[in-house]
Amino acid sequence: MKSQLRNKSNRLTIVKTFLWLMLCFSFTASANSFNNPQAWLQKLSQAVSERNFNVSFVVLSQNADVEPYLWRHAVIDGVEVEHLNMLNGPGREVVRIGDRVSYFEPYTPPYTMRSSEINGPIPYQLMRDYENLSSSYNFVLVGRTRISGRAAQQIRIVSHDKSRYAYNLWLDQESGLMLKLDTIDLNGQVVEQLQVTSMQLTEVPDDYFSRIELSRLPKVVELGTTADTRLGWQINWLPAGMRVVKQNVRQLAPNERPIEYMMLSDGMVDISVYLQQLPNELNQRTALKHQSNTLFTMQRDSLAVTVIGKLPAKTADAIASSIGITPR
Amino acid sequence: MTQSKIEKLSSLIDGESQDEQLIDEISTDAELSKKWQSYHLTRDLMRKDAPELLNFDISAQVAKAIADEPSIVAPKPSRLESLPVIGNVIPLIKQSGQFAIAASVAAAVIIGVQQYNQPLPDEPYVVTNSTNHLGSLGVASGVSLEQTRPIQNQRSDAQEQRRRINALLRDHQNQMRLKSQPQQAEQLEEEKDVKGTNEKPTAEQK
Repeated sequence: MKSQLRNKSNRLTIVKTFLWLMLCFSFTASANSFNNPQAWLQKLSQAVSERNFNVSFVVLSQNADVEPYLWRHAVIDGVEVEHLNMLNGPGREVVRIGDRVSYFEPYTPPYTMRSSEINGPIPYQLMRDYENLSSSYNFVLVGRTRISGRAAQQIRIVSHDKSRYAYNLWLDQESGLMLKLDTIDLNGQVVEQLQVTSMQLTEVPDDYFSRIELSRLPKVVELGTTADTRLGWQINWLPAGMRVVKQNVRQLAPNERPIEYMMLSDGMVDISVYLQQLPNELNQRTALKHQSNTLFTMQRDSLAVTVIGKLPAKTADAIASSIGITPR
Repeated sequence: MTQSKIEKLSSLIDGESQDEQLIDEISTDAELSKKWQSYHLTRDLMRKDAPELLNFDISAQVAKAIADEPSIVAPKPSRLESLPVIGNVIPLIKQSGQFAIAASVAAAVIIGVQQYNQPLPDEPYVVTNSTNHLGSLGVASGVSLEQTRPIQNQRSDAQEQRRRINALLRDHQNQMRLKSQPQQAEQLEEEKDVKGTNEKPTAEQK
C-alpha cells in the first residue's frame, strides 16, 4: 500500500513536469510566430488560397437589407475554384476557376472575365495582398475573443492618416480564416459588417465543384485594350498610400456626353472619380450613401465632380476639392 | 521549495509520516500550502471521490488576466480639417441618422408626386436632393395652380439626377470588376501618368 502511494506521488511529479514543459513550449511557439498581425494575415492569405472550405456569411450595411451569402472554395489539381452565391432574392452567383470569373446575375446575360478575384463583399485584396496595404494602413493585434463559436484573434486596421474607414478583423484561431469584418467610420460607428455564420473546412473539395460543366460556362469577354488617356485635370491631394490606378474618357450610355474617369486605390478600397459636364450646374455639395458606398458630388468650374467609394464623405470632399483643372 | 520537502509533504498527505515542523511550515508558506491543497485535490480525483462541483478559486486568475489584457485604445476621431487642403471645407451634412432623416423628409414630398405618375427604378439609396426652396414649396404651401410648373421642372431634374447617380454607381461597380484585367499596354501608360501627377512614382504595378 505504502509503495503504491509513493509511486503515485512520483508519478504526479512527472506528470506535472511534463505539463509545465508543454505549457512552456506552447507559449514560446505562439510568441515566436503569432504575436504580430502580419503572421496572422499571412495565415489568412494561406488558408484562403489553399484550403477547401464552405463558409456561410451575412453582410449588414446601413440603409440596406441583410445579405446572406454562401462561399465555397477548393483547390482541385492545383487550380483554385471558388463559388459565391447570394442567397436572397433573384440571386447572384459567381464562379471562379483559376483566373476566369463568371458572373451570373439577374437582368444581364452571364459573362466571364479574366480576373483572379471575385469582386463582391469579400475583401480579396486584404486577404491575399496584405503586404500591399502597409503603405496605407496600420495593423494592430488587439486580443482574442469568441466569434461564430470559435476562438478568434482580433486585428485592427487603421489608415495612416485616419482619412479612411477603419476595420476590425477577426480571424479563426485555428485555420486563420476570416470570421468577422467590421467597417467603422471616423466616429466609431459601424458602417458595414460581415459576419460568418457557419464554416466547414474539409479535406476533399465540395461536391458542387464536380458538377460545374466547364464547357457551358459563358465565354470570356475580351475587352479591347483601352489605353489610358491623359486627362486635363489631376488630383492634388490623395489620402496616404492611395494612388491612381487608371484613367480614361468614356461614354456611359450612347448619345451622352463623354465622362472623364479616374480610379484610385489604396489596396483596400477602390474609389472612382468622375468629371462630367452637366446641362445645369449643381448648386450644392451633396453626399449620398448607397449601402456602404459614399457618393459625393460637387461643382468645379463648369464640371460636376463625383467621387464614389467606401470612404468617409469628408475624405471624398477633400479629394474632389483638391482637383486641379488645367484650362484647355 | 526543495524536492525533499515535496516528498515529505507527499508522505504526510499519504499518512506515512507525522512531521510537526512541516505542518507549521505549510501554514506559513503560501507555496507549500498551495501544494497541499492541490495534492489533496489530485488525490480526491484519483480516488474518484471528488465532489460533483469543484469550487476552484479562479478569482485571482481572472483578476490577473484582466490586468494582463492589453488595453484597447480607441482611435482618436480623426480631424481631417487639419489637413491643409481641407481647411476651407464647408461642414458637410453629417453622415448620421439625422442627416438621412432630414433628407428623406424633404425628399418624400417630391417622390410622392413622382410615384403617382410613373414607376421608379427601385434603388434603395437615400435621396438628398433637398434644396430649401423645394422643401418649403412642398410642405408649407401645398399644390396650387401656379406652382404646378415649377414642380414639374424640379421633378424632371430630380429624375435626371437619380438616373445619373444610378449610372455612376453601376459604372463604379463595373470598373472595380474590370480593375484586374490584364492590360499590358495600359500598365505602361499608367506608370507614366502616375509619375505625371502628384503621386510619388511607384513601381508596384501588378
